[in-house]
Amino acid sequence: MKKNYSFSISDTITNFLSRPVRYVSLGILLISVLFPLYWLAVSSVKVQLDYLKFPPVFIPTRVTGQNYADIFQKYGAWNGLVNTFVIAMVTAVICVFFGSMAAYAIAKGSLSRKLRNVFGLWFMIQKMYPAISTAIPVYVVMRHLGLMDTKAALIIMNVSFNLPLIVWLMIGFFQEVPKEIEQSGEIDGCNMWQRFILLAVPITKPGLIASAILTLVAAWNEFLFATILSVNRAKTLSVAIAGFISDRGLEWGPMAAMAVLLIIPPAIVVWMLQKNFVAGLAMGSVKE
Amino acid sequence: MNPMKSAKKRSGSERMRSRSDTITTWAFLTPIFLILCITAFIPLLYSFYLSFHSFKINLPNAQPVFIGLDNFRMMLKDERFFTSCKNTVFFVVVSVAFEVVLGTILAMMLSSDTKATRLIVSLCLIPMIMAPVASGTLWRMMLDRSTGVINYFIALLGMEPIAFLADIKYAMGSIIFVDVWRQTPWVTILMASALKGISTSSIEAAVVDGATRLGVFFRVILPLLRPVMIIVLMIRIVDGFKVFDTVFVMTGGGPGMATEMLPNFIYNQGLKYFNTGYSSAMAFVFIFFMSLVSGGFIVLRNKVDRDMG
Repeated sequence: MKKNYSFSISDTITNFLSRPVRYVSLGILLISVLFPLYWLAVSSVKVQLDYLKFPPVFIPTRVTGQNYADIFQKYGAWNGLVNTFVIAMVTAVICVFFGSMAAYAIAKGSLSRKLRNVFGLWFMIQKMYPAISTAIPVYVVMRHLGLMDTKAALIIMNVSFNLPLIVWLMIGFFQEVPKEIEQSGEIDGCNMWQRFILLAVPITKPGLIASAILTLVAAWNEFLFATILSVNRAKTLSVAIAGFISDRGLEWGPMAAMAVLLIIPPAIVVWMLQKNFVAGLAMGSVKE
Repeated sequence: MNPMKSAKKRSGSERMRSRSDTITTWAFLTPIFLILCITAFIPLLYSFYLSFHSFKINLPNAQPVFIGLDNFRMMLKDERFFTSCKNTVFFVVVSVAFEVVLGTILAMMLSSDTKATRLIVSLCLIPMIMAPVASGTLWRMMLDRSTGVINYFIALLGMEPIAFLADIKYAMGSIIFVDVWRQTPWVTILMASALKGISTSSIEAAVVDGATRLGVFFRVILPLLRPVMIIVLMIRIVDGFKVFDTVFVMTGGGPGMATEMLPNFIYNQGLKYFNTGYSSAMAFVFIFFMSLVSGGFIVLRNKVDRDMG
């Protein structure tokens, strides 16, 4: 019986602009998402001559790995890949560890209601303010400290920008942990640290995974601070791509190859953990 | 449980435990306080300090020189500053409007839980998780005047090729288009998850009463989506003002000042022309303005929460 109803309702929702309009719109959506990605992938394996052909080569007959070889040999892709990987991983670990601890303290710790609201508001505001506003002082300070062009500097800044989001997100997940579980832990004589590690963390695992993915993707893609604070040694992939535009004219082939390299790792992670990722997105913005 | 009773029963060991809880609570909060103080508040204060100084960081041993409000006066006279403000506001308003309208429509269309819609939603995740630098370069390649594939399609239609990124008439539109391409899926996913939470009974009732599908959308679904939509709007608007990467790789603010956004202008002033003081002053005005926007949204959000009970 329920199935009958939900079918008609689903139809009222999905076909609210009529069935043909839905099919056409979704068709356009698919093309506009897939064609650019296809074009990028194809461009990364095209031979030099095919770039300038008219009409453009849609299905290349000659395929080359030269662009990929070039980015690793000439354009420091390996260095960029390692840097990006290390920065994203360390940032995610730090953010999830300290962020969830702080979130647990705010959600379940012994803070007054008022203080709890103040902290909630603080992290919300911090999540909003524009990164560029601290870029210049951070540049000056990092230069003084001799941290220019180090991964440490980029990890510090990525942590700074992702922590508020993770705290905000995890507060929501911890608030959903039932009171009874906490109480049973107290009766068993667990102190707060034990309750956090043994009871709260296992229950909120989906939230922790979501936080980790969001941070990984954000840190992996970060560009503003990477371009300000890195020169050579700490250069990330995103900076390397932008470098194709400013320094070397436009070399479509290597540029496309570098972009593919930048896109694939987060795409794999998000596809594997899609449910957590989407839940994290929804929770991070819509929850109260 | 009777709270009075439990309060009376509170033994010494329990009091000890609550004390240790308080200590742990603050111990849990200390690391992030430290991190955020050092990496966010101190730079902000330093930026405030620099905004009253003239400071050329590219010169060796340069020291900040106090110049009072000169940086702010300069800002009021600087046409480029106002142009970049205008551009940013235009960009945010137009791109967010497109993203929210398109995102909501697509969320409606994709809300059935079939294999096909699930697959489409997963595919839509890709533009969203792509680095803005990557999507920017990708579209820069496709929109190129001579070799871009989009211009090939335009030629097929019998039109002259368009220099999307070099022509003042099209540059801003192209930046907005790329942002819409990247961000609409995000709106779609949030709106779709909100749609799942809508109770079907009110829709059923409306259908039984003979409402058309469009009527159901405008009179039943849209009002129910309003709280989520406000939050989505708020996040998109705040994020929109942070636009930097896409502009950086696609046009660099050009042609002329056509796509120069405030973050890019602040960046250029501070780290390209090394007018550190001036750039800090603008950053501060920017933060002040953004605080107003965020504050307004927080008030609005609280109001919506209250209205929803």
